[in-house]
Amino acid sequence: MIRKPTLTTTLITIVGFLTVCPVVMLLFGSFSEGFGSFGQFTTAKYIAAYTDPALLEILWNTVIFTFGSAALATGLALFLAYMNTRTNIPFKGLFGVISIVPMMIPHILFAVSWALLLNPSNGILNRLLMDVFQLSSAPFNVYSLGGMILVEGLLDLPIAYLIIAPAMSAFDIALEESSKVCGASTLRTLMRVTLPVLRPAILASAILVVVRSLASFAVPSVVGMPGRIYVLATHIYRSISTGFSADYGKAAALGMSALAASITLIYLYRYLTAESGKFVTISSRGFKPSLIDLKGKRYPFFAVVGLVSFVLIVLPVVVLFYTSLVPYSMVPSAKAFSMMSFKHWIDVLKDPISVLSLKNSLTLGVFGATLGVALAILIAYVIVKVRTPAAGILESLSFLSFSFPGIVIGVGFMWFFVRTPLYSTMWALLIGYIATYLPYGIRPLSSAFIQIHSHLEESSRVCGASSFQTLRKIVIPLLIPGIVSGWILMATMFLRELTLSVVLSRPGTEVLAVQILRYAEDGLWGKLSALGIIMIGISSTLVLGVTYLGRRFSRVEVVDR
Amino acid sequence: MKKVSLLVMSMFLVASAFAADIDKAKAEGKANLYANITAIEPLMESFTSTQGVEGIYTRISTSKYLATVLTEHDAGKLQADVLQGPLPILQTLKDKGVLAPYRSPSAVGYPDWALADDTIVQFGIEYVAPIYNKELVKPADVPKRYEDLTDPKWRDKIVMPDPATHATTISWLVGLKESKVFASDEAWMAFVKGLAANKPMFVKSFSPTPAPVESGEKLIAISMPKYIITKAPAPLDWAHVSPLLGSPRGIALAAKAPHPNAARLFIDFWLSKNAMQMLADKVGEYVLAPGVFPPITGISDAKVLPIRELSDEEIASWGEKFKTIFYAK
Repeated sequence: MIRKPTLTTTLITIVGFLTVCPVVMLLFGSFSEGFGSFGQFTTAKYIAAYTDPALLEILWNTVIFTFGSAALATGLALFLAYMNTRTNIPFKGLFGVISIVPMMIPHILFAVSWALLLNPSNGILNRLLMDVFQLSSAPFNVYSLGGMILVEGLLDLPIAYLIIAPAMSAFDIALEESSKVCGASTLRTLMRVTLPVLRPAILASAILVVVRSLASFAVPSVVGMPGRIYVLATHIYRSISTGFSADYGKAAALGMSALAASITLIYLYRYLTAESGKFVTISSRGFKPSLIDLKGKRYPFFAVVGLVSFVLIVLPVVVLFYTSLVPYSMVPSAKAFSMMSFKHWIDVLKDPISVLSLKNSLTLGVFGATLGVALAILIAYVIVKVRTPAAGILESLSFLSFSFPGIVIGVGFMWFFVRTPLYSTMWALLIGYIATYLPYGIRPLSSAFIQIHSHLEESSRVCGASSFQTLRKIVIPLLIPGIVSGWILMATMFLRELTLSVVLSRPGTEVLAVQILRYAEDGLWGKLSALGIIMIGISSTLVLGVTYLGRRFSRVEVVDR
Repeated sequence: MKKVSLLVMSMFLVASAFAADIDKAKAEGKANLYANITAIEPLMESFTSTQGVEGIYTRISTSKYLATVLTEHDAGKLQADVLQGPLPILQTLKDKGVLAPYRSPSAVGYPDWALADDTIVQFGIEYVAPIYNKELVKPADVPKRYEDLTDPKWRDKIVMPDPATHATTISWLVGLKESKVFASDEAWMAFVKGLAANKPMFVKSFSPTPAPVESGEKLIAISMPKYIITKAPAPLDWAHVSPLLGSPRGIALAAKAPHPNAARLFIDFWLSKNAMQMLADKVGEYVLAPGVFPPITGISDAKVLPIRELSDEEIASWGEKFKTIFYAK
């Protein structure tokens, strides 16, 4: 029998080991003179980092960028998840996959695609709109704070979708029926019942997107820098790139503010969802999520969802495919189409390092996500069901590496792993991935746990089952949508992981990120796009496979009414 | 001059005594190169096939290079046999005791200044020049002098690495001043301000500069002519301004190389005329091996000069100055 305090302590030890070590190394580095993690004590790096007069404007930009991205990603995810899980809109399976496509694309590529579409000089969409509406100047400028929010919000849409959709699909019909019996319309029921009950999932999604966009570097560098808009991540990059001796201690000192912001957000989230009983939707009574019949509005809604998905997600992928076929960066033209070939694809597939990195990344993705989700189930269980101060510590610990800006945390892991025999092995990558992206597993699972009433577990125990049996036979089957979401988030992340891989990968342990970095640093966008599409293909196969398995094993039935 | 030649020659003779032992190198089996240089796989393959020793290329981003090498070195886990990178980085590594002296016999004929150090051999210059889209810029409009970049007709049509932060670009701008490319410091400052007034689009380094020029988003990039080779068949050409300036690149032996003989063999191979020719032909690099040039029109006649090595403090200080000029609202 598992005793909760023991489980909590064990998990704190494991998660602490995984996430605290690199952050502690960064903490030492931020207080050390020189380039390493153990130099003479100094506070000079903090003084230099936080007395910069430009910092205030950068922090303000960062707040707008992160909260804007969170609002866009969460709002869009709510709309798509509601349409997909709660209505009888046609082709819902397709939209389910489209919503998570941005998760599979290397962020730098997605950002470059949007620059090709919406740059003010010759962006494809801008040109089209100028021709159609006879405009004298480009209507959109992607190199702006709005452009950054658009691209980052879309990239983080899958995180929001994969947290909100399971919660939405596990919704107790009785709550909505009661509302309707009392005479409320569908819209009023949605606003007064459905959305408030989904508060934990909505907050979880928004917080995760804020934390992720805080650590994001691709969008701020590809879209923000040309518009001269700097946020914390690009400010940190500036601090390490001005000069040849990159001082990661100073970068870590700046990163500490991102860490503090993330931990504050996590405690805020715990406070806002403290009365978890309010959000239970799967109790021991009849639980059957219902579908809303859109009737005559089925196809208009389908058109709206279709258009949103096409413009925001499909179009950039089409641009990616186009880029993989043309010999160099070209706007679409008769000449461009006449020069198309599969040369970049052949080059990528013939490159032995590409093949090796595909194999390594696939292994890390499948194996790592499975291990990561197993750990996340236990952690989410403790976070949601135990809710002691120790559980709060566990939740904060799980976010430590995740909330550090990507360009710094890799160095923290390097400073840590170099002191172990794991350095430059696949194990270092595996442990680093799980440690950093644990919240991708924990968040969807804790949102799912919140909705399961403890009566179910108590009934199981009354019938003589142990805690472990209860977890395996009662809780896990009800958690399947959350498990599927967590697995997808982790596996797709591990397949395209860049920030840790560039530091920890060595010849023989190359992963896709190594190839991505090589192509990006050499400006070979054609090859990069071809590899990006291959990655989307692999990730889609994994997503479809695990979704199918999830549906087979799930005991949650969605009934069409 | 005579003294310098004598010194170089004596260093060469002493160091040559420790030149690579091919049998020992083969017994060691491999040589690991730490670097961040574009598309050198053909060179690594050539080393492996011609020397019978496996060449391993560990690519590490420039921004993480020093942190990675020093961390591994301090922990006794540096796997590099040979290190290659911008001169200021190698100089820091030498100061920290990571590098060992080695004078390769293959470096004969290199300029004296490239061999002045007993440890680091400078083999190339990361030369910077304006590159342009030759389909969209008429031949008559192509800049012929640096000052031409300040013409208002290029407003919103230039892309360049951020001059407030990108170390090589900062060094390049300072180099234009110190190399007396302009008649006076005032003329140089007028150039900097004129360039800033044209509101160039900033990117994080040189590598993202060619793409906007290829696609026509911008017309000119402060970039590197080597992209004419690596991005072919993109319609790129370089503006024949003179002189061209760039940061020197160096190569050196690791003090605790796990495969010291293979490492020496690798450096001998790397500095040989054949390898340098491959580097010029395949990657478009400007190399210092005598008589070897990249196959780019006009480069063999161009005057290419190394930039003085700026300290990080100088780079930071100049970066701040350029920030006030280029970011002025």
